[in-house]
Amino acid sequence: MRRLYVGGLSHSVTQKDLKDRFGKFGDVHDVELRTRKDEEGVPYKTFSYINIDISEADLKKCMTVLNKSKWKGGTLQIEAAKESFLHRLAQERQAAMEQCLQQPAAEDKRQKLLDSLSKAGVDNFTMKAAVPGTEVPGHKDWVVSKFGRVLPTLQLRCKKGNKARTLKYDPSKYSHNIRKLDKTTTDSSTPVTQLTWEVQGGDDDISKKRRGEFPPYKPPPRPKKSRTDMISSHNAVSRARLEPTVKSINHTEKQPFTNGFELHSKHRPDLRKFASLIDSDDSDEEIRRMVAAQNTSHDARYQEVEDNLEVVGFDYLGKLERSCKKQKGRPDNEDEDDYDSADTDELFASKIVPPPPPPPPSETPLKKKQVLPTDKPHSENNTHGKKKTRKQSKVGAEEAEEEDLRKRSCTQQRRDSGKQNSQKQSGSSGKHSEKTAVHSSSSESDHDEVDENEELDSADSSSDSDYDTMFSNVTRLEISFTDLQRLAEQSQPTSEPAVTSNVSPGPEKETGLIAGSAKQPTKKGIMPEEILASIMEDDSSDDDKKKKKKRKRKDVMLIQLPAFLGTNTLNHGFETIDNNQRLKEEENEEAKISVIKKHKLDSEAPQVDNTSSEEEEEVEVEDNPAAKMVPNKAHINTENAETSSSSSSDDDEEEVETSSSSSEEDKDKVITVEDVGKLATPAALHSESISDEDEEDEEEEKAPSRVTLGAKEEAELQRKANMRRLAAIQQRQKEAEEHKRLIQGALANLDTPNPGTGKRIVFGSDDEEEQDGEDESKQQISPEVTVSKKTMFHDSQSEDEATGDEESADENNTVKENVQRKRSASRLFGGSDDEEDGDGEEDDSRFDIRPQFEGRAGQKLMELQSRFGTDERFRMDSRFLEDDEGKEEESERTKNMADEDETLEEERKKNLSILQSVLGSVQQTCSSKTTVKAKTFRDVSALHYDPSREEHAAFETKPEETKESKSARRKKREEAQKLPEVTKEIYYDVSGDLKAVFGQTKDNVTEEEENPSWDQEEEEKRGNNEEPILPVIHVPADLSAEKQESGFKFSFFGEDAETETRETEYKVETIQAPKVSWQQDPRFQDSSSEEDDDEEGQEEDEEQSSATPKTTEEATPSKTSLFFFFPEDSRLTEGPRLFCRPSQLEEQREQWEERRSELRQEYRKKHKDARRKLKASLKS
Amino acid sequence: MRPLTDEETKTMFEKLSKYIGENIKLLVDRPDGTYCFRLHNDRVYYMSEKILKLATNISRDKLVSVGTCFGKFTKTNKFRLHITALDFLAPYAKFKVWVKPGTEQSFLYGNHVLKSGLGRITENTEQYQGVVVYSMADVPLGFGVAAKTTQECRRVDPMSIVVFHQADVGEFIRNEDTLT
Repeated sequence: MRRLYVGGLSHSVTQKDLKDRFGKFGDVHDVELRTRKDEEGVPYKTFSYINIDISEADLKKCMTVLNKSKWKGGTLQIEAAKESFLHRLAQERQAAMEQCLQQPAAEDKRQKLLDSLSKAGVDNFTMKAAVPGTEVPGHKDWVVSKFGRVLPTLQLRCKKGNKARTLKYDPSKYSHNIRKLDKTTTDSSTPVTQLTWEVQGGDDDISKKRRGEFPPYKPPPRPKKSRTDMISSHNAVSRARLEPTVKSINHTEKQPFTNGFELHSKHRPDLRKFASLIDSDDSDEEIRRMVAAQNTSHDARYQEVEDNLEVVGFDYLGKLERSCKKQKGRPDNEDEDDYDSADTDELFASKIVPPPPPPPPSETPLKKKQVLPTDKPHSENNTHGKKKTRKQSKVGAEEAEEEDLRKRSCTQQRRDSGKQNSQKQSGSSGKHSEKTAVHSSSSESDHDEVDENEELDSADSSSDSDYDTMFSNVTRLEISFTDLQRLAEQSQPTSEPAVTSNVSPGPEKETGLIAGSAKQPTKKGIMPEEILASIMEDDSSDDDKKKKKKRKRKDVMLIQLPAFLGTNTLNHGFETIDNNQRLKEEENEEAKISVIKKHKLDSEAPQVDNTSSEEEEEVEVEDNPAAKMVPNKAHINTENAETSSSSSSDDDEEEVETSSSSSEEDKDKVITVEDVGKLATPAALHSESISDEDEEDEEEEKAPSRVTLGAKEEAELQRKANMRRLAAIQQRQKEAEEHKRLIQGALANLDTPNPGTGKRIVFGSDDEEEQDGEDESKQQISPEVTVSKKTMFHDSQSEDEATGDEESADENNTVKENVQRKRSASRLFGGSDDEEDGDGEEDDSRFDIRPQFEGRAGQKLMELQSRFGTDERFRMDSRFLEDDEGKEEESERTKNMADEDETLEEERKKNLSILQSVLGSVQQTCSSKTTVKAKTFRDVSALHYDPSREEHAAFETKPEETKESKSARRKKREEAQKLPEVTKEIYYDVSGDLKAVFGQTKDNVTEEEENPSWDQEEEEKRGNNEEPILPVIHVPADLSAEKQESGFKFSFFGEDAETETRETEYKVETIQAPKVSWQQDPRFQDSSSEEDDDEEGQEEDEEQSSATPKTTEEATPSKTSLFFFFPEDSRLTEGPRLFCRPSQLEEQREQWEERRSELRQEYRKKHKDARRKLKASLKS
Repeated sequence: MRPLTDEETKTMFEKLSKYIGENIKLLVDRPDGTYCFRLHNDRVYYMSEKILKLATNISRDKLVSVGTCFGKFTKTNKFRLHITALDFLAPYAKFKVWVKPGTEQSFLYGNHVLKSGLGRITENTEQYQGVVVYSMADVPLGFGVAAKTTQECRRVDPMSIVVFHQADVGEFIRNEDTLT
């Protein structure tokens, strides 16, 4: 089977033809005929593919026979063609099929490999107990890799640039990258949820801490004490013990997240505790015993705690140190850091779940508590929200204040803490001076200011042991800061929950009741709002009671304190709102409140005064309470320090309590400072009510001092303000006086000129200009004088006024008024409007350009004038002008210019010469500019036609001229047309020659009249032809007439047909016209010949012959009226005959043949003659 | 500021003539006013007479630039054309080279023009003939020196340099601080 290409086929070849043709050589299966066509569909190439069964010999034969043979007008071209793609496709498919069949063989191969491998000890591509890298015996390319896997070494071909090289990849060498994928060994990856720190449980931790719930702690069994003193002291101790543990626990919780105080909690608790124990319960044997008992348990606890703590790395320490450094170095900056940590703390605290370590069985209820309190803050918050809605207007300002306060307190705190640290170290030695106590208390107070929550704790702890409190302060710092943010938002509210939470740990079943009862009276003591708040508080406290049933016993007093505080704070919250509202609405109510308080507390008058004064202050200076607060706070602090010191000096529990109460008081004060001054009173009330008479005394001592301080402060402030005001007034007075003095001085100066003018020497008496100047000056001065006089007059008045008015805040106004009055007065006194007008004119003229100051000389004059100033005596006129100088200068200038130009020109020339030298051959550069101009560079692309330019007229085309030319041409034409008219005379003369003229033509005709019969026919035909054409030609007669006029007037038919009268004329004309041999006129001949061609398709000879008879006949029919025909014209009868064949076609043909032969002969003869002649001529 | 000495003028003109040939005459001898070359801080400025007069009001040490800076004299007293002179070279340039849009940027970054980037070249350009380089849109981009004759340019391989870069308008940005 072969496929042949057969090219060069003719388009008419069919498949069958091809089949037949090639069938001789082999069995033709298929013929594929193709025809290539160009765009117009005309085939230009035909070829075919033939599938043929042909042997090699036959093919050769075929090729020899058919290749390049001609067949049906085409040259065959036979070539072996490529296989048909269909055929190929089929083959490929077949091959694929075959391959599929062969596949099993490959499988076998693989199996073989496996077998061989297994022989070598490889089982399922793993070789047991084989060191990675060992080759599999018998298999060169297989290597044992990791986990005993057998892998093939790969030959990787990599191409780098032009070089191709093989890379050997030995899996055994990369075995360490391989990881075993085995279901059994899949390491339990930590779920995504565990990847992040998981801290659950909202506010639990914080609230817990606030409540003082410390889950891991289990109170050790101890003997019951009947004595309250003992209880309280014990409580203190236990508290002291408690706190560190709590903290530590908290820290364990926090550990991973915040860089807390592990170090502290790790190392210090013991020391602290001991210290605190020693400190607070120095001589108490019982307590010592207790401590000894508890120590053991605590040790265990600490062990536990420390185990937990060990997770913490050293970086922790680093951070702490850093923070310490920061604290020491730049407390202010620290603020933010602390905030940050607080933030994080809060965050974590909010997320922390109840601590994971399993607490002792006794702590399970505690957990409940931990969980439960979450509700409380919410409810409280809700109440806050309500409050807030009421507050809103004031909240912003208060917040700001509080913020300030807090910052300050923070800084203080930090300082304090720094101190504490040092003190701690000193205290660790075992000695605890009262100083430290004082410090701690002071620090406590500071903290209180910062945060009520912390405050309370610290207060309690301080009542127990100074060192402990110190520690607690330090640790609590963070917590307090966490609250700071919240505080910023909820100033009072936060304090409330804190208090409650603090309170919560305290109360037991029994004590709680007592506390409640204790609370009740105090609550009811104050305003209705307070009562409401107290009720709310009560609820919360009740909740607390329920929750905290498993707490230790505590002193009633201690419980009371927080309760009090809570109510207090609540009250404050309410009060602040109320006060704020009231302050704006009415002061009376406040007064009432204060009165009520007075009544209820039967406290000292000064205190009330203080509050009232504070109120006043608020009323007066609502803008900056913060400023006020600062000193107040300071006072408070100092007071606190005093009190604490005093209290610490006494070893009584009550004393401690007082200190705490004092701290509370401090807080209250702070609040008062923050909100309203009034708030101080309730705090005082409470503290007093709580404290014993001794305390009361102290309080009394305190209160007056505070009051006095406040009063003093206020007084001072007022005094200062007054001073400032006075100073301002004085300054203003001074200024006013100076003003006056100035004006007076001016007046005094101005008064003089009038007389002065008289004394002035007038140089040119009649000079108008000078006069003008004088007038000007006068008029300038005169109004001023009046004004000044007026002012003087007024000044005295104003002075009086000034002196009269102590409050010269109006001074300025008065002065202004004075000025105004002055103006008005001047107008009044000025009187005439003319003057004013004159003034205006003068003013206008002042800015006129003076002619004498114009020009160069004028400039000089101006300078001179300016030197004299505006002195009237030296007024420069035009007379001072120097004329000559200017001219000279100008001339000089022109000279200079010319010089410069010259120099430039020279330079240019020089440059050009140099250029010439540089360029060498360059032609002589033009020295003059005119020549240059001729050669100006012209940008052709930028050339535009500008009608305004004269040069561009060249581009204009002149339409008129062309018109003229046209008309001229027309004229010419006309003239040309007229020409024939001129020849009219000749026409008459020549008329006689008619015959001669026609004779010539007749000769022609006769010459050609070889076949008379033929000619005859023609003649008649012609004549007949003429008529049907006639109307056709008639239409364009005029047109043709025009043209024919010039040459020869041969308009036959046009007018002839119409009129018979001018017949003769026409006849003559017709004859006359062909002065240039008639029949040679090409036009005429052509027309006839065309007609002839159409009719017969015969040769020219005949045409010519036909033309001649016509003319002859034209001449003859002159006798009749008709131009061409006459009645009974034979032609008319003969004419129709022309349309039918006169003779048979054969005859005619024969005739024609004969004639042709004749003609041919003649032609040959002539040709010969001509040749001969040519030759002869050449020869000659 | 002072007029150029003969020597300086000669060197400068020689340099200029490489680019604009005898068209220097059109710079020196302008129909629209008197223009001149002035030397200031080793730089040659081309300015009109008017500006020259105005410039006299400014003290020499304060004067940064007047007119158009054509170039500067090196320490070896050779003259070096600056790109600022392009405004005067471009219209009078005798030999031009057009670069393809792709190589415009390359040239404007200070690279030589390669054969591959050569779009068009004036016929009969000789070797080391000063040429002005244009973009295909006939925007003058700078100037340089023909590294090859026009005939050679046809034969050389595409990566060979055809025009040595001397200055390009990119210098207005690149050498902003030194151009005056």
